[in-house]
Amino acid sequence: MARSIAERFKAMWRQSTWTWQPRSEREAGDAVVRNLLLHWFPSKVHRMSIAWSTSMYLGVISAYLFLILILTGLGLMFLYVPSVERAYASVKDIEFAVSFGTVLRGQHRMAAHLMVAVVFVHMARVFFTGAYRSATAANGNRELNWIVGVFMLLTTLFLSFTGYLLPWDQLAYWAITVGTNIARAAPLLGEQMRYLLLGGNTIDQNALLRFYVLHCIFLPAALLLMFSYHMWRIRKDGGMAVVDRLAVLEQAAPVKTKSYTLMGIAKGTTVQVETSVVDEEKDCLSSSPHLLRRLVAVFAATLAVVTALAIFVPAPLETPADPGLTPNPAKAPWYFLWLQELVADTTFKVGGFTVDGALVGGIVLPGLLVALLLVWPYLDRSPKEAVGCWFHSTRSVQNIVFAVSVILLLVFLIIGTFMRGPYWNFYWPWESWPGIPAKI
Amino acid sequence: MGTGGTETVSRRGFLGKAAVAAVAGGILAQGMYYLRALVPNVLYERPLRSKVGPPDQFADGTTFVEEQQVFVVKEGRSFYAMSAVCTHLGCTVKAVTLNQPKFIDEAGKRVEIRSEFHCPCHGSRFYGDGRNYAGPAPRPLDRFKITRSPDDGQLIVDQGERVGADYRLTV
Repeated sequence: MARSIAERFKAMWRQSTWTWQPRSEREAGDAVVRNLLLHWFPSKVHRMSIAWSTSMYLGVISAYLFLILILTGLGLMFLYVPSVERAYASVKDIEFAVSFGTVLRGQHRMAAHLMVAVVFVHMARVFFTGAYRSATAANGNRELNWIVGVFMLLTTLFLSFTGYLLPWDQLAYWAITVGTNIARAAPLLGEQMRYLLLGGNTIDQNALLRFYVLHCIFLPAALLLMFSYHMWRIRKDGGMAVVDRLAVLEQAAPVKTKSYTLMGIAKGTTVQVETSVVDEEKDCLSSSPHLLRRLVAVFAATLAVVTALAIFVPAPLETPADPGLTPNPAKAPWYFLWLQELVADTTFKVGGFTVDGALVGGIVLPGLLVALLLVWPYLDRSPKEAVGCWFHSTRSVQNIVFAVSVILLLVFLIIGTFMRGPYWNFYWPWESWPGIPAKI
Repeated sequence: MGTGGTETVSRRGFLGKAAVAAVAGGILAQGMYYLRALVPNVLYERPLRSKVGPPDQFADGTTFVEEQQVFVVKEGRSFYAMSAVCTHLGCTVKAVTLNQPKFIDEAGKRVEIRSEFHCPCHGSRFYGDGRNYAGPAPRPLDRFKITRSPDDGQLIVDQGERVGADYRLTV
């Protein structure tokens, strides 16, 4: 009796998990079609697509961090009160009164910091591998996916910004002050934009509620939509760019796969998704379990790093928001310090006319950087062999331009982080700051 | 449609286009209502005009009024009010008394500077009278109109009304 129940449970377990561990090629193909979570995989993936050295799984890690952020964020939403009277106290309670509240908040914060970094490195990886251009896949449009990716990076930054001002501490208050004043420096609509963001002229309840809704609903929903499109686009573009490249090198025609496309019917070309995979039998592996196994491992590693950091790096909570007293120095989180350094350095005079650094460093220069990123794939005239290849020799000038820009950004970031003291004066890292009276 | 003058618009075509336009217009207009509802018509903010205290309460020199984020400067019997909000990106500047007075040349005149304002966010610097001289601030600290209340004689600072640098209230 007991044995038969045990066997029945074993059978049930096998039935519900067979898609993870298929026993034949046929079951592996079936698994992808039948399982909701696996349906976005191709049934077979090229060895080079899933190689660690191709993508370093940076996009996957970004997605996992986003998942961790959603889950921990939902937990925090039960504990946080978006009101100027109670926000600070509720975060303080999360930190000191709620069981494991400090871990929950720490995980949310560390995952957010890591997400900014990993999404950026993911973008750098795509740039250095030239994976933002289509090579041979039919109907490929990697350029568009790169553009979506740039907007996903911006949304990630805006999510971080709206997140760290929710505790309504000094960091939060002065971040909103500076952030919305940068918006105000925009030509023509600046003043109206600030009014709409704050829901008034001063930083108060309306502003907190607006940033709260942006942070918890609007921006995550937007990111999720873009994420879906980003993933769908990769499949339509024939998977990883490294596989596109193989077909270029081997001079083979794209082959038809077992996936079907309605777009093909509409255009009258083919009903099958064409990929550049040359020999499925030889070079491809079943997505389940080979890709799946790696994805699970990457998830475990990501979660472990986030949790370890959350436990060992305490999340700070500054003193409550005080409009009369700006901390000295008042610094943004690390990923915005290059921007803070820029707005501090870019005011200049032309004749008798002063051009505000808030406009130049806060809007014009970052705007130019983003615009450059958006059009870059269309400016890239390197041959198709460069698509999906790390540091291809025909792209070395582009790679150097990109690397130098990143290094400049890092230099500004490092100066802002380690070499700016009270009143934003310059100090070498080994110099001590002079004592400054806390009150005016 | 009608470029040569002889082509006619069919009734079906016209009604079809009109229907699409009506639906699109309806959705667009509702989108505008939606956005407009997020622009507040009524604000419950601190009034811009407020009492800061009786004149004899202020010592000679610069006094920071924290609640309004303004400096009230007293020179003998005359007063002026100056914003403590940095003209660059809105942080509250701090008054700094120099250990040794410094001298600057201004239109051939030697002017003594004893106090300054420094901004903690991006390092803007202002002289004691609010003129910007270093850092990213694009213009001097704002001056606000200062008056005396007719009922109890307290000073009133009106942050809604900017005045020139030579505006003074003499009591």
